[in-house]
Amino acid sequence: MTTRRDIILGAGSAALVLTAGAAGATPQEAAAAIQAFIGGKPAAKGNISIDLPEIAENGNTVPLAITVDSPMTADDHVTEVLVVAEANPLPRLAIFHLGPMAGRAEVATRIRLAATENVTVVAKTSKGAVIMAQKPVKVTIGGCGG
Amino acid sequence: MPASIRQGVLDRPLSRAMTATVTMGLVIALAALFGVAPAAADERPGPAPLATGDASARPWKRYDGWPDRDASAFNSLANPHASPPAPTAPRRLDGPVTGDAGNGAKLVADRTRGGSCLACHVMGQAGNADLPGNVGPDLSEIGNAGLSDEQFWNYINDARVYNPSTIMPPWGAHGLFNDKEIGDIVAFLKTLKVPAKFATDVDDPAKRPAPVEKRDNLDPTTNPAMWAVDDAAALYKKRDASSGFACATCHGDPAARFSTWAAAMPRFEPRLGHVLGVEEFVFRHAKATTGANWPMESDENIAMGVYLRNLANGQPIKVDITSPDAKAAYERGRLLADTKVGELNFSCRDCHDPARGGLKWIRGQWLGEPKGQLDHFPTWRTSLNQIWDIRRRFQWCSVAIRGNELPPDAPEYGDLELYLAAVNAGRTLSVPGIRH
Amino acid sequence: MVEKPRIKLPPEAKKGEVIEIKTLIAHDMETGLRKDKDGKPIPRKIINKFTCDFNGKPVFSADLEPGIAANPYLAFTVRVEESGTFRFAWFDDDGTVTTADGAIKVT
Repeated sequence: MTTRRDIILGAGSAALVLTAGAAGATPQEAAAAIQAFIGGKPAAKGNISIDLPEIAENGNTVPLAITVDSPMTADDHVTEVLVVAEANPLPRLAIFHLGPMAGRAEVATRIRLAATENVTVVAKTSKGAVIMAQKPVKVTIGGCGG
Repeated sequence: MPASIRQGVLDRPLSRAMTATVTMGLVIALAALFGVAPAAADERPGPAPLATGDASARPWKRYDGWPDRDASAFNSLANPHASPPAPTAPRRLDGPVTGDAGNGAKLVADRTRGGSCLACHVMGQAGNADLPGNVGPDLSEIGNAGLSDEQFWNYINDARVYNPSTIMPPWGAHGLFNDKEIGDIVAFLKTLKVPAKFATDVDDPAKRPAPVEKRDNLDPTTNPAMWAVDDAAALYKKRDASSGFACATCHGDPAARFSTWAAAMPRFEPRLGHVLGVEEFVFRHAKATTGANWPMESDENIAMGVYLRNLANGQPIKVDITSPDAKAAYERGRLLADTKVGELNFSCRDCHDPARGGLKWIRGQWLGEPKGQLDHFPTWRTSLNQIWDIRRRFQWCSVAIRGNELPPDAPEYGDLELYLAAVNAGRTLSVPGIRH
Repeated sequence: MVEKPRIKLPPEAKKGEVIEIKTLIAHDMETGLRKDKDGKPIPRKIINKFTCDFNGKPVFSADLEPGIAANPYLAFTVRVEESGTFRFAWFDDDGTVTTADGAIKVT
């Protein structure tokens, strides 16, 4: 069962919906992980492409690829990328550190998802911008039960 | 000469073999003594030596972490007559069914009793219409279908009274639901009069796209099972502490020697009287030659099973089913694929034949058809971070449908694997696979 | 059987080219949230950090949490301006550090 709550993150930011998950995390924990990362700065919906399956074959290993639109110059580049899975018991999944030598702001990994939930990606840039995007993932319910 | 080559070993007619073995043993022992590497590919002609006895633990103990339910009271592939017989006629009910539809709505979504009805049926908004399956018909409007209470009740209790070849589990007759619970489910079904509304297309099994496996299973950064190939390559060369022999001692360069071997397995082994798959062969042959102890389902055995097939990747599966013994084994395998197993009373075909449940959804999981089910085994399982060989896959199928598994070297599994390999003839090996 | 980390790295590239690097390390990534058969909690043990340096300079790093899947896979890009050596390091909760190197020729 899910309930929906809108949570505003900082003045002037886009509201992202964080749903309560079955696995013990609350939207507050996920929001706190995001707040700790962006330190009160306002977050804007930005050009972040999140590549996740629409249905994950299972919650144990879910491939995730992130691309943040950025020139990645010495002057203007992504510095950090946060990934949060709001319904996981431990919502923060990773923080990636990039620099101009990265060439592109692209990262891929494999994550664990405790339940059908939203995955939120937050990126910080060298110019002080904070951008955010979110994608829902359905975690397959297996056929034969327990 | 290593004792293991003399005791409990099947080989050619004894006298000649003994002489040859002694000679070979001496040659190799002398070579080792004088630090001279034996010539590569020192294989003797004739059938491979095989250790007799069991190839896995006895008594067989189910794996840790698997449900520990004992289903001896129901069919297994070794005991296809254990389950109570189907009722001969529908049960007559005294009056209309009175049940708690609210509890029924919970029961049809309850995964602890065999997947729940939603595993196979769309049922309106039951379970939030969250990834229901479509092995069985959509029941969202079954309340308007004009079925009597007695028909509803008996269909759930044991549908075989209406359709002897049904796939429906005998929920009541096999004790998964009691009479009261069946009544609750009937009460709920009678309320179903409106098509399901799905939150997304992905929830609707009629619209959900069938999964297509696109991963590069042989890419070592994609597939953790590729580490097993390296592990086995090292095991192949490792000299056994007692015998001093390695696989390499007799077989030489593995890439050359085994470039096609695994594609012709499994095969009927006359000396054992049953079908021998790669994993069982590895155990019996290693034990009878180098002395290495790699029972089925051990890490070493699994790695060798991956390796020997990996060396034959690209080869078409081609197993013998023409010799009289192999033909009989194939026939047994074919019948085993039709044998009902477990509390849920499913045969392989019930789930995997496209004419029944195959190429349909069971909850959120796709049921594949037999073609394509073997060429990628052993496979990495992303849901478990384990490599599964085909025998473990057979074992889990039985346990998942609330039946008892057999030991991995059960002759029934050999017959079934031979049958599956014959059905998959021509498909090329690509091992290790990567799957859910 | 200790599995060595896997690195996918092109052996050559043109100056200024952005290359893709893929890495995989064998690790259970024990979350600390599971309990054993007797109900006792299994302690957390994960790779908590990954770093990639090129010719001694940090290029990419990741702080990892239990929500990263077992056998952690990390893929990222690097713009190469000169030949040199990548050094990859994985840091376990227990203090062990696993390293791997990869060379690239840039023309």
